[in-house]
Amino acid sequence: MKAAAFDYVKAKNLVEAVALLSEYGEDSRLIAGGQTLLATLNLRLSEPSILIDITAVSELKGISVQGNMLRIGALVTHTEIESSDLIAQHAPLLKEAAPHIAHRAIRNLGTWGGSLAYGDPAAEWPACSLALDAIMVIQGPNGVRKVSAKDFFIDLYTTTLQADEILVASEIPLASSNQVHSFQELARRHGDYAAVGLAAMIRTDKGKVQTCRLAFFSVAAIPTMASKAQAFIEGKSIDAALIQQAVNLAREEIETLADITNSQETKTHLLGVLLERALTKMMP
Amino acid sequence: MELNGEQLIAAPVSMVWLGLNDVTVLHASIPGCEEIERISDEEVRAKVMFKIGPVRARFAGKLILSDIVPDVSCSMAFEGTGGAAGFAKGKARVELIRAEGGTLVRYSTEASIGGKLGQIGGRLISASAKKIADDFFLAFAKELGGELIILSDAKLEDKK
Amino acid sequence: MNHKKQINMMLNGKQISAEIEPRRHLVDFLREDLGLKGPHLGCEQGACGACTVRVNGQIVRGCLYLAVQADGATIETVEGLTEQGVLNDLQEAFLRHNALQCGFCTSGMLLAAAELIEHQPKSNREQVREWISGNYCRCTGYHSIVDAIMEVLEARADGRQVKPVTTA
Repeated sequence: MKAAAFDYVKAKNLVEAVALLSEYGEDSRLIAGGQTLLATLNLRLSEPSILIDITAVSELKGISVQGNMLRIGALVTHTEIESSDLIAQHAPLLKEAAPHIAHRAIRNLGTWGGSLAYGDPAAEWPACSLALDAIMVIQGPNGVRKVSAKDFFIDLYTTTLQADEILVASEIPLASSNQVHSFQELARRHGDYAAVGLAAMIRTDKGKVQTCRLAFFSVAAIPTMASKAQAFIEGKSIDAALIQQAVNLAREEIETLADITNSQETKTHLLGVLLERALTKMMP
Repeated sequence: MELNGEQLIAAPVSMVWLGLNDVTVLHASIPGCEEIERISDEEVRAKVMFKIGPVRARFAGKLILSDIVPDVSCSMAFEGTGGAAGFAKGKARVELIRAEGGTLVRYSTEASIGGKLGQIGGRLISASAKKIADDFFLAFAKELGGELIILSDAKLEDKK
Repeated sequence: MNHKKQINMMLNGKQISAEIEPRRHLVDFLREDLGLKGPHLGCEQGACGACTVRVNGQIVRGCLYLAVQADGATIETVEGLTEQGVLNDLQEAFLRHNALQCGFCTSGMLLAAAELIEHQPKSNREQVREWISGNYCRCTGYHSIVDAIMEVLEARADGRQVKPVTTA
């Protein structure tokens, strides 16, 4: 069906965008890529009185290296991430994950910031941001604040972003030479919402795991780290026996939430399958 | 969809009972409540903005109380329509039990969601219903000046 | 509420201006206001791909893009790209392989295929299938569409022209 009527204003910069958001409040929606918002409006599952277009806000654009961090602007599209040399070099996990997001036409418009701000439990970028220890940069009427990814996603479709704030960018530590990753996603058809997914990152030192990050998505209300499995793996070398134990730990510790297509038991089973594949791939 | 749970609130039973029946307290406690009006001793009408992910659906509905035993328990029937988004209908039972540290509020709810939200929401609605219940009790306890002492896990069942 | 906005865009090589309601998406604007029936509406939710158009050189879901957002943009539909000859070899290959029956998905398929050929010219069958999985077809069963796209990819890789379809 067609969206209900709304007004439209385009912000010229970040200060104006934040001011407009404060001015119009609950009756407004921010539009960036619009790939989730416009579908929602077309179905009339939301009827805002005004859209605030932030696609001209330059402070939200671009991928750059800042010191020892990679900065990804909120407006960076999934396609830009997929084809960026900086991403390939400094956050290759994201390059591997990008083609799994929906389909090309959607990736051309959909944004990094949009995916994070919606916090869909089945989305790829929230889990990837956890796996890479990303820091979210947030602008509100009272200034800027930074929140680590693990404190950002707090409940179903709920992040710590307040109603008057805009996600500006994420900062990700540059991938080190001893860092490997694996991205796994199971979906019934390519481009579907994930049935289960895993964004994994490991740093090794002399054959032993130093840092382990296992961020599962589409298993619960929020992207979920298998912290017990991580702690178990850290300090050890990866071999078949360790993989089996890690899989058992992850299956035990994660309280899965069923979705429309898959039961809790299926999710629990599949997360173990993906963990096995990821650890096998990352094994030196 | 069924939602059952218990919350312990650090306030005496009579205060909790008054709070549950006070539209001003309810207005401040119900997540997304925009308007609320008591029509009679048994009937309350409200407009609530239901927010989940990108969805913003304004529900207009009414709550009808029955089997009212002051300071102890009551039943309620509710229904609401969310325009193009869908509609909801259900019933709930609330019991207040004096407990160490305050009042234990025990609730059991059965609801069905129809229309678009029902079709595409499915199990995600159950997860968000739990969140709404948790948010309600947090706000409610704050309104009463007390706290939530124990947050026990609400038991959720999805029956089609 | 319904304050119409003035927009200017480059559409199929021509500069145009219009006044439109913010809620009108690009495909409704193209079809209803400008009579360009190339892009079709299937689901209006971004799932089926029938509405695919090109904005600033990239394919997008026209139903998930507002006409007001096209202010200052370059828009190309299957009509314009056909006129330019950009889709010629794909169209010939589609004809030869029976890659269309009712034609509803075809404009979207052509635009999606064109972007694949431009950005991933070394694609194999599996990669072609993955790429066009965002465009639904109810008639052909997809094999003929993949065959047609593969023919163009291989021809281009060989530096050949795709043979035009003749009725002789």
